[in-house]
Amino acid sequence: MSGVTRRDFLKMSAVAAAGFTLSHLGFDLTPIRAYAAELRRDLRIKDAKETPTICCYCSVGCGILVATDAKGKVINAEGDPDHPISEGALCAKGASSYQIAVNENRLTKVRYRAPYSDTWKEVSWDWALDKIARNIKKSRDKSFTEKNADGKVVNRTNGIASVGSAAMDNEECWLYQKMLRALGLVYIEHQARI
Amino acid sequence: MADKSFFIDTTKCTACRGCQIACKQWNMNPATKTTQRGSHQNPEDLSFVTYKLVRFSEFEENGKPVWYFFADQCRHCLTPPCKIVAELHSVSAISQDATTGAVLYDPKVKVGEKDFKAIREACPWDIPRWDDKTQGMAKCTMCVDRVKEGLLPACVKTCPTGAMNFGDRDAMLAMAKGRLEQVKEKHPKADLLNHEYVRTIFLVVDEPRKYHTFAVAKPETVIAALHESNVLVGS
Repeated sequence: MSGVTRRDFLKMSAVAAAGFTLSHLGFDLTPIRAYAAELRRDLRIKDAKETPTICCYCSVGCGILVATDAKGKVINAEGDPDHPISEGALCAKGASSYQIAVNENRLTKVRYRAPYSDTWKEVSWDWALDKIARNIKKSRDKSFTEKNADGKVVNRTNGIASVGSAAMDNEECWLYQKMLRALGLVYIEHQARI
Repeated sequence: MADKSFFIDTTKCTACRGCQIACKQWNMNPATKTTQRGSHQNPEDLSFVTYKLVRFSEFEENGKPVWYFFADQCRHCLTPPCKIVAELHSVSAISQDATTGAVLYDPKVKVGEKDFKAIREACPWDIPRWDDKTQGMAKCTMCVDRVKEGLLPACVKTCPTGAMNFGDRDAMLAMAKGRLEQVKEKHPKADLLNHEYVRTIFLVVDEPRKYHTFAVAKPETVIAALHESNVLVGS
């Protein structure tokens, strides 16, 4: 019994007891009892519509199949086996992409925390977009540099920086970059490089 | 449909935890609230809502850092001790699928705390979990609903490195043994864990307990005895 822990010993006893009791009572454990719930249940994506898409996270660009029910609700998302890059595989972030659509913790309304305040308040999209536009205008007017110390035309806005976003797709990035450059931003960074 | 098995090659695992998340999402299990414990392992343990967990083992050996990953889950035993002990306790929550060999818990069946403790204690790999609110038991289902439709289990489907494999038992055993031969050239301690008794075959390159306390059932006689006892009972 050397090297046998208490747990192992208990297991041995349980096993010995099982063999003894059951064989003496004549129980037959070999036939299968009722099928468990999993076996009776239909595959829940059986009649779902499958839509191929690309993972929104990193630049690998894995393929995802999104399953939606008759009402268009997302019911599953998993790797697309026909995708040439990922061949059905997904990492932890890609595998959780279902939650982009379905998650009770997801914010559905715009929230605003005023400077020096410690509480959030719900605001409308109109209010928030207007506020952002005003703040951008204010900072840009204040920090816009038309010419540098050598008198060369630079037209840059040093008072604003942009950080993000890994969740943007190629076309969104193009539009975003165009907008930032038009404003004169030079501090344009992506979180993957920070 | 034939007897099925998993082959988990820990040498290929990068601990991305895709399997863990794919399992959560397919089974529609909620997240677990966790705290910072100084380890990348998250959550801390398997639970009623966490069937698959990548265990992280970090230590120093001969002045060098060692970091092992162990994608823990139910072993779907050929002869499940949990089922035998459950029946001894008149608990009808556990069944075994005749075709795939999947060991299945019905989470809707109420199990008393004492009975559950006996069932958990019977598992050499410490897999069964219980919810004190619903009094039901839950663990890995082998995604038997997917498997019977010809799909791979969610964890295997998502694995980007080929660490998680699933298929007919013969094929998986052949794959495991073939890979073991390759790995042994570089890692003489490499081994397959309890592969004769379980349907989830792990390949490790070091002592199993360095990966996880319950990585391997020891002594092997425990399960061997169980195997014999069932043969005896069945005769």
